[in-house]
Amino acid sequence: MSSDYELSDNEYYDEEDDEVMYVDDDGSASEMDVDFRISPASKSKSYEIDYESLTQAQVEKLIGQDVEDISGIFGVEPDTASLLLRNFNWNKEKLIEKYMDNATSVSIAAGLALPEKPEASSSRFEASSGSRRPTRRSTAEQAKSGKAKILERLTPPADEQPFVCPICFDDTQTKTMALACGHKFCTECWSAYTTSKIRTEGEHWITCMAEDCKLVATDEFVKKALGSDTSAFARYQELVVRHFVSCNKNLKYCPYPSCTHTVSCPSGASKSALTTIVPIVGCGANTAHKFCFGCNIDADHRPVVCGVAKMWLQKCQDDSETANWIKSNTKECSKCQSTIEKNGGCNHMTCKKCKYEFCWVCMGPWSEHGTAWYSCNRYDEKASIDARDAQSRSRASLERYLHYYNRWANHEQSAKLSMELYSRTERKMEEMQITSDMTWIEVQFMKKAVDEVFKCRMTLKWTYAMAYYLEKNNQKELFEDNQRDLERAVEELSELIESSIDPESALALRQKVTDKTVRLPVVWQSTGFDHLHLS
Amino acid sequence: MDARLRRVNKEIKDCKSDEASNITVDLVGNSPFHLKGSFLGPEGTPYEGGHFQVDIVIPDSYPFQPVKMKFITKVYHPNVSSASGAICLDILKDAWSPVLTLKSTLISLQSLLCSPEPNDPQDAEVAKHYMTSRASFEETARYWTHIYAGGPGKSGMAKGGVDTKDEVAMAGLEKAHVDKFEALGFERSKVIDVLRRLNYRGANVAKLNDDRIVEELLK
Repeated sequence: MSSDYELSDNEYYDEEDDEVMYVDDDGSASEMDVDFRISPASKSKSYEIDYESLTQAQVEKLIGQDVEDISGIFGVEPDTASLLLRNFNWNKEKLIEKYMDNATSVSIAAGLALPEKPEASSSRFEASSGSRRPTRRSTAEQAKSGKAKILERLTPPADEQPFVCPICFDDTQTKTMALACGHKFCTECWSAYTTSKIRTEGEHWITCMAEDCKLVATDEFVKKALGSDTSAFARYQELVVRHFVSCNKNLKYCPYPSCTHTVSCPSGASKSALTTIVPIVGCGANTAHKFCFGCNIDADHRPVVCGVAKMWLQKCQDDSETANWIKSNTKECSKCQSTIEKNGGCNHMTCKKCKYEFCWVCMGPWSEHGTAWYSCNRYDEKASIDARDAQSRSRASLERYLHYYNRWANHEQSAKLSMELYSRTERKMEEMQITSDMTWIEVQFMKKAVDEVFKCRMTLKWTYAMAYYLEKNNQKELFEDNQRDLERAVEELSELIESSIDPESALALRQKVTDKTVRLPVVWQSTGFDHLHLS
Repeated sequence: MDARLRRVNKEIKDCKSDEASNITVDLVGNSPFHLKGSFLGPEGTPYEGGHFQVDIVIPDSYPFQPVKMKFITKVYHPNVSSASGAICLDILKDAWSPVLTLKSTLISLQSLLCSPEPNDPQDAEVAKHYMTSRASFEETARYWTHIYAGGPGKSGMAKGGVDTKDEVAMAGLEKAHVDKFEALGFERSKVIDVLRRLNYRGANVAKLNDDRIVEELLK
């Protein structure tokens, strides 16, 4: 066991050996690693997950290390190394392997070099591209004298003819920029182009503006092109960081709007671990930024595991339950198919829309019933029993869903209101400091209690989603008992917080609230996590 | 002056001055950002002789984002929606480059008519027709060109009068096939619709038995 434990430690810290370790392990061993890692290593509860919050600058530093490594190994500029890494989705090993194998083709793919080389190789390229597509021929022909042409473009024509930017057709522009391909455009167009790529398309891979030119702008070039627009460049850097984060399975970007923090959580990165743990993490920017590393739901959905939580949210979102309601409460007009709800009255129905008259029981036309005194004489014993069974079944399943959904939604609503309670509590705390002789530090118990209530309400909310999917057996009963305990404890504490304060009872209230606040996590644990493995 | 406006004005001027290409660009209203382009159907294709009009909208971020184009003239082509005129062409999407112009884009549309890409279709039914029976597809495309784009009609077809549209030829079907199912008592328009949907053309006719068609017709 101890060797197993060391193994997991290695895997945790030594990222470079990651793949090798996985090859050695078979599936079950790596699943066990997760348990070992969490419990004995950190001496914390099994539901607590080790994670680290990183700021954008910290991630940039990580990127910087990778870039430095590559630029050191290949002997290239850091900007070039960055583009190479980006093209290989930040997979250093693969890049090194391929680069050592064929540096030219890797550079071409990364948009660093032109595919056409002067002299010897040019004829080869011409031959291959010529046969592929006729339109390529012209560019290949140009490439024949590629080097000469670029040189020519770079030096003399400035005097002969004023430069006309091929994009904005402005001949008064004097400042131009070009990538290594020599496609010159005015600085203003480059600026507008990069801004549009970064802002509108969210693209960090900015190619040359010329048609079919695959050359990519380096960070330095982008910065120069954007000029004074520093916010666009910041966005560009953020996009690069996001790309880096999305390529690394141990990292996740905080899903809260405009938050730029990243969370590193290697234990929540494997799919198999998600069936036993719920990796709830928070980012360093704001304590409210809690999210699940496994499924990106921006809330603490314990005790429900990711798969079930997703299933439940999906169920609540789509219209399947609306359809269920319609199915159990309505019938369709057999002529025009409009949906009809019978909310009283006799069985002689007249469709509001097409005026079709029919019998609610047999759905046949009313004219055939004649004067049958509102009782259907075409009553088919079996068919009607079947119909009623189907209807009551779907009604029962609907009711079951609504039972859980209402409680789920109720707790969500209450948790939202707790936020409001927060501000009220603050006022109350001030008041308490004045009326009784408690100090600021002594009234903090109120705030703690509100936090606890909020946390428990979130958990309670998800226990209802879990209960919906639990099979009916002894364990479910146990689960429901625990759920009830927690619910009661939360309601009691909630009531205490809301109660009015008078100077005499303040101390007693403090005692009670503190007592409940301390006890709540104990109940909370028993509710959620003894049963995690159930689903 | 605004760079976008200057560029568009220059592009319109360029198109006007170049008469050899037979490509025109005209303003729709007062704004230079909503235009109507037109070009002739390429020679040696079913679209030859047709005059095709394209609706052009120039977005605010032009030329850094692509122009929006769609056919006003109905075109029977795998990469053009036969209902809406929407065009499936890479340079109108991710392969756009700011150096491309209205003229070069219209020329690209012209060459799209020369070389359809049935594997990346906009209109799946037309693409199926193209894949199963090229000759029948070309005949239909020629008929559409004749009806909608003012192209020359096939000598045999013109007999029925230029203005009356032959629904059967429009859908690229054989008159005998439609007559056969109509004789079974189904509405003519429904027969045409079903046969078109099932791609009842060329080699496919042998694969689809009559029961399958009737089943579809009864739905």
